[in-house]
Amino acid sequence: MSNDLQIIDRIVSDKGRGKMAIIPILQEIQKEFNFLPEDALRRVSEISEITPADIMSVASFYHQFRLRPVGEHMIKICVGTACHVKGAGQVYDAFKRKFKLKEEETTDASGKYTLEKVSCLGCCTLAPVVQIDQVTYGHVSTNQVDQIIEDFEIQKNTKTKKQYRKSDGTEIQGEIRIGLGSCCVASGSDDIRKAVEETVHNTGVKVKLKHVGCVGMCHQVPLVEVVPNKGEPILYSKVKPSDVKDIVTSHFKPKGLLSRLKNQLLETAEYIQTDAKWEGVERYELDMREKPVVSFLGKQIPIATEYRGILNPVDIEEYRSRGGFVSIERALKEMTPQDVIHEIRESGIRGRGGAGFPTGMKWELVARHESEQKYVICNGDEGDPGAFMDRMLLESYPYRVIEGMVIGAYAVGAHRGFFYIRAEYPLAVRRIREAIRHCEEANLLGNNILGTGFDFHVSIYEGAGAFVCGEETALIASIEGKRGYPRIRPPFPAEKGLWGNPTLVNNTETLAQVPYIIREGATKFNSIGTEHSKGTKVFALAGKIARGGLIEVPMGISVAQVVYEIGGGIANGRKFKAVQVGGPSGGCIPASLAKTPIDFESLTKAGAMMGSGGLVVLDDTDCMVDIARYFLSFTQAESCGKCTFCRIGTKRMLDILNNLCEGKARPGDLDELEKLAKWTQKGSLCGLGKTAPNPVFSTLKYFREEYEAHLNGVCPTGKCTALIKYTVNDKCIGCTLCAQKCPVDAIPFTPLEKHIIDNELCIKCDACRQACPVDAIDVR
Amino acid sequence: MIKLKINSQEMEVPEGTSVLKALRSAGFDVPALCWNDELEHINSCMLCLVKDNHSGRMMPSCSATAHEGMDIITDDEEISEARKTGLELLLSEHVGDCEAPCQIGCPAHMNIPRMNRLIAAGEFAEALKVVKKDIALPAVLGRICPAPCEGICHRRTVDEAVSICVLKRYVGDDNDLHPWPVPPLNGHKVAVVGAGPAGLAAAYYLRMGGVEPILFDMAAEPGGMLLTSIDDEKLPKDVLRKEIQSILNTGVIFRGNTAVDATMLDRLKAEYNAVVIASGNISDIVKSYQLSGTAKGLEVNDNTFKTSEKGIFAVGNVLRSSRLAIRSLGQGKEVAWSVMQYLNGQPVVGEPRKFNSRFGKLHPVEFTEYLTEAFNGKRIFPESHVAGFGREQAMEEAARCMHCDCRAIDHCSLRDWSDYYNAVQKRFQTSPRRAMTKHYQTDGIVYEPQKCIKCGICVKLTEKYSEEFGFTFIGRGFDVVVGVPYNEDLNKGLQKVGEKVAKACPTGAIELKKQ
Repeated sequence: MSNDLQIIDRIVSDKGRGKMAIIPILQEIQKEFNFLPEDALRRVSEISEITPADIMSVASFYHQFRLRPVGEHMIKICVGTACHVKGAGQVYDAFKRKFKLKEEETTDASGKYTLEKVSCLGCCTLAPVVQIDQVTYGHVSTNQVDQIIEDFEIQKNTKTKKQYRKSDGTEIQGEIRIGLGSCCVASGSDDIRKAVEETVHNTGVKVKLKHVGCVGMCHQVPLVEVVPNKGEPILYSKVKPSDVKDIVTSHFKPKGLLSRLKNQLLETAEYIQTDAKWEGVERYELDMREKPVVSFLGKQIPIATEYRGILNPVDIEEYRSRGGFVSIERALKEMTPQDVIHEIRESGIRGRGGAGFPTGMKWELVARHESEQKYVICNGDEGDPGAFMDRMLLESYPYRVIEGMVIGAYAVGAHRGFFYIRAEYPLAVRRIREAIRHCEEANLLGNNILGTGFDFHVSIYEGAGAFVCGEETALIASIEGKRGYPRIRPPFPAEKGLWGNPTLVNNTETLAQVPYIIREGATKFNSIGTEHSKGTKVFALAGKIARGGLIEVPMGISVAQVVYEIGGGIANGRKFKAVQVGGPSGGCIPASLAKTPIDFESLTKAGAMMGSGGLVVLDDTDCMVDIARYFLSFTQAESCGKCTFCRIGTKRMLDILNNLCEGKARPGDLDELEKLAKWTQKGSLCGLGKTAPNPVFSTLKYFREEYEAHLNGVCPTGKCTALIKYTVNDKCIGCTLCAQKCPVDAIPFTPLEKHIIDNELCIKCDACRQACPVDAIDVR
Repeated sequence: MIKLKINSQEMEVPEGTSVLKALRSAGFDVPALCWNDELEHINSCMLCLVKDNHSGRMMPSCSATAHEGMDIITDDEEISEARKTGLELLLSEHVGDCEAPCQIGCPAHMNIPRMNRLIAAGEFAEALKVVKKDIALPAVLGRICPAPCEGICHRRTVDEAVSICVLKRYVGDDNDLHPWPVPPLNGHKVAVVGAGPAGLAAAYYLRMGGVEPILFDMAAEPGGMLLTSIDDEKLPKDVLRKEIQSILNTGVIFRGNTAVDATMLDRLKAEYNAVVIASGNISDIVKSYQLSGTAKGLEVNDNTFKTSEKGIFAVGNVLRSSRLAIRSLGQGKEVAWSVMQYLNGQPVVGEPRKFNSRFGKLHPVEFTEYLTEAFNGKRIFPESHVAGFGREQAMEEAARCMHCDCRAIDHCSLRDWSDYYNAVQKRFQTSPRRAMTKHYQTDGIVYEPQKCIKCGICVKLTEKYSEEFGFTFIGRGFDVVVGVPYNEDLNKGLQKVGEKVAKACPTGAIELKKQ
């Protein structure tokens, strides 16, 4: 332990002895020990100003911190919205069964694996998603649990080959672009990258390898684009590592190889081009110019995501060559702070974080307050399950966000800035850190920026996982080293923010759009969008959609256009039922209102909300009571617990919804639910509580008959397990697949006979239905 | 200074004043459970919601700052509903009984736990005061009462109930003297028709209120059914006579051999300030009074026992036939409240009853927690019915009582405001409650976390006074608890400001043990 104490002493002396250092200290201790040992925490109090009460209150407030040891490997089961509608709950249960975990247990008996539900891993298009340590598994079904663990066991033992990248720079035959957004990485693009590097190394082809950020085609990941010096670029989707060699060598002539091998390869390459024999290419190649892809990207206007798929996220020169930093130069050298604010106000841009407060007005307010010290905070505490726009922007366009931040700081007169990024976004943190370093080297950050005399220093503050910290006053409390408690406004942070000083808090996406406005002018920006909602908005399109991914669309585009023209309609030929907009603060817009334009006012009018920008499409198999329950369970778990109406009101609403889904509701519960929703909305202090009832309001408004059916013990879509039964119909061929998959032996092994499900034993895990090859399992 | 309106009343307050302070200085009050004058405020309970008359929006007055031109409404129908809902949400997770179940179950509403504690401490005279406050004939009832209180004693869910009834009898038998001075007469005279348990109790409590009661009965001797229909072995006549005599000794006048027919009733109405009918059954004579009722009994208001005629009240078996003497006795006490309110020209509401939080059945795990307040022994049975308890036995048995009543019973803001807004605790009890726990500090502090409303006053106080460990919030959201860091015990948590914290707690979560 004395050794351990030395570690603690070092951490404290690194991070500081003041209360503000508490979260960084705890993060560091957890990094060291994988949890927060009590002895370590007691030591912190001994050698710092941080009291035991401070430590316990903070350590137990944020999700990131663990007060108990965990298993060797963390199995994170994503229960974000997209994963939820695709059965994440059943997957979680399947893992629990696999490790024989009782009620509250999360670590298996051997201490090897710990299960954890996470609210969004940001790979919605691969739903349901499970991540074990750094390996991500997509499209997981309940009966694949064994396979996944097996695969992981093999995977973790394979030592990856030393990364190698050819960089002699002579005679480049073209460029190979590999998507490295979270979806791409999760789907295995890292393996693709290794395979490409390996192939390039082994074959000696002279190409430029390029890592690009998210291109938005998350439904087709992993993506590899080959751009030959001559001819059209070709985009390959859903690439497997084993395909890489063929793809590379089909485009580029290998050099320095034995001719025998060469001929062999060229032969394969021919197959690819004629796509006669090689199944791989037929299935995976996707031409950019073909219709579905064009329409997927075509309706969109990239502003925050400008040059998507082209920019290397951390290549500062490339960003510069694509119009980057023009706006910093212009703002700092040619415009007064008032000019900048004027331009932003003229653009009509409103905060992209959800509430839609006019950005220009916010800047004006901060600028107006005289103070020695002012701050700018980039709010990257994205916690909405089913939205990962901020993450993608921070990962793929770090310079753009920094540029927006410098311009904002200049406009309001701030010299210190913070990136508040969730610690769950390690890639974003890494990219931003690297980008900050490059900017400092290029004098785009620091003292006397570009010789203009303007100073601005930025640091990163890693949030520890609390949805409520997306609320600006809670975010500020968190940076100050406290529990993320929101406080009443006024005073607004513009007047009294971080440590009581005027503070500008802007959402990541807002800042990412600022450089465009300054560079292209307010008029160009405000020519896009509707009367009161200008410009574009980035959405994470997911759920029961044919083509999901990140999209950036002009404000005012209709729900129908997004679903059908961009998303390609509903997957698997099901019927479009509703779209959930705005996550836990938002609501459901039914298919009958698909013409609703997506802008701040129209969404609010329809009972939804822009929120942070999740668009989850629901089909006719989705239960709306379950959807409301899902969101309520999220906000209930995320309530900070300070105020009565939110702390207990959300819990009681969730109780009623649980009772509805379990067939235990009483007559009068719907009225009570509605009343409670109203008081929770009116009686809560901050945005979290005030908007938490929205999913209930909108589903009650458009789908009340489904609620009434639940009151009578019927779930019309068959989603609520307590209200349904699994039976076998006459299509059954007696193949026993279901019996083999059943984890509780509820289906007797009777080959060639029609199977029977024992409903006493059945746990409704859905494994039989998924296993059945002839659609013989009915759910009612 | 800032000018603003509170309930249309114009006023001035210094800049930076909170709306709560402003409205309090104007003489209005709102519930603010999380407010503490000496601390920097963080709003939590949200019960101080007031309305901005301009926007119609609600705001917590504790943390909103008064500004020029504000127009505040502190209470209207909507605000009341909001506060009621807020209180009901707090109550839905408030695991605690205000009054103990035995007291609520007692038809005379006697403060049983207090009696038990006094007996256990050997303070029998004090115990008699507690008993006599609600039960006029303890020695009698101690022999014949079927003891509904014991039926819902928390101890009974795991063990056996405390022997409440026999203890009460011991207190009644133990003392001949009336436990407090009889007040002087105030000039009001009330006729009480019928000298059974209901009539005797009514007369006794009227006398205790300064009224001169005259008891009329057809029989020559007071006692009614107690005298005629209970066998001597169960209730010896001398015990009955002695206890009735102690009532008559306080200045209750008895007129025996007097039947009160309709004509007589008219006379009583004319001669006395009020009449209480406690004549035991719905006889033909009672029917001739022409008061509204059915064949089963007279009809009265449930709380006040007012009949259809002004100035006439009715209690006991004349309303509904019952063998439960304690019920009649309790009603006799309650009607005295109504009659005195009537005589004093006050609104007649009956005996004041306050809101009671109740958590229902005690679970076995919780029994262990509750036993920390009680003697962990088997129930003691008297050797025989005739013998009853001896002094030592009584003290030992009384010590089995688990202090189920809340220590904050008469200074709990949650209870007071729940009472004021008629909050219904059951409304949001939509999922199983938490298990009750009790923690002790050797200097005499008791902490019951499941009664906590998470206002954070204790957290801030222990921080302010630099407790080494103090209290802190642990966890978040609905699952947040207030506790001592690292699960240290209460002695570590409260080394300096225990008493201050106990006094500042707005509910009964942290209390002084001696209470």
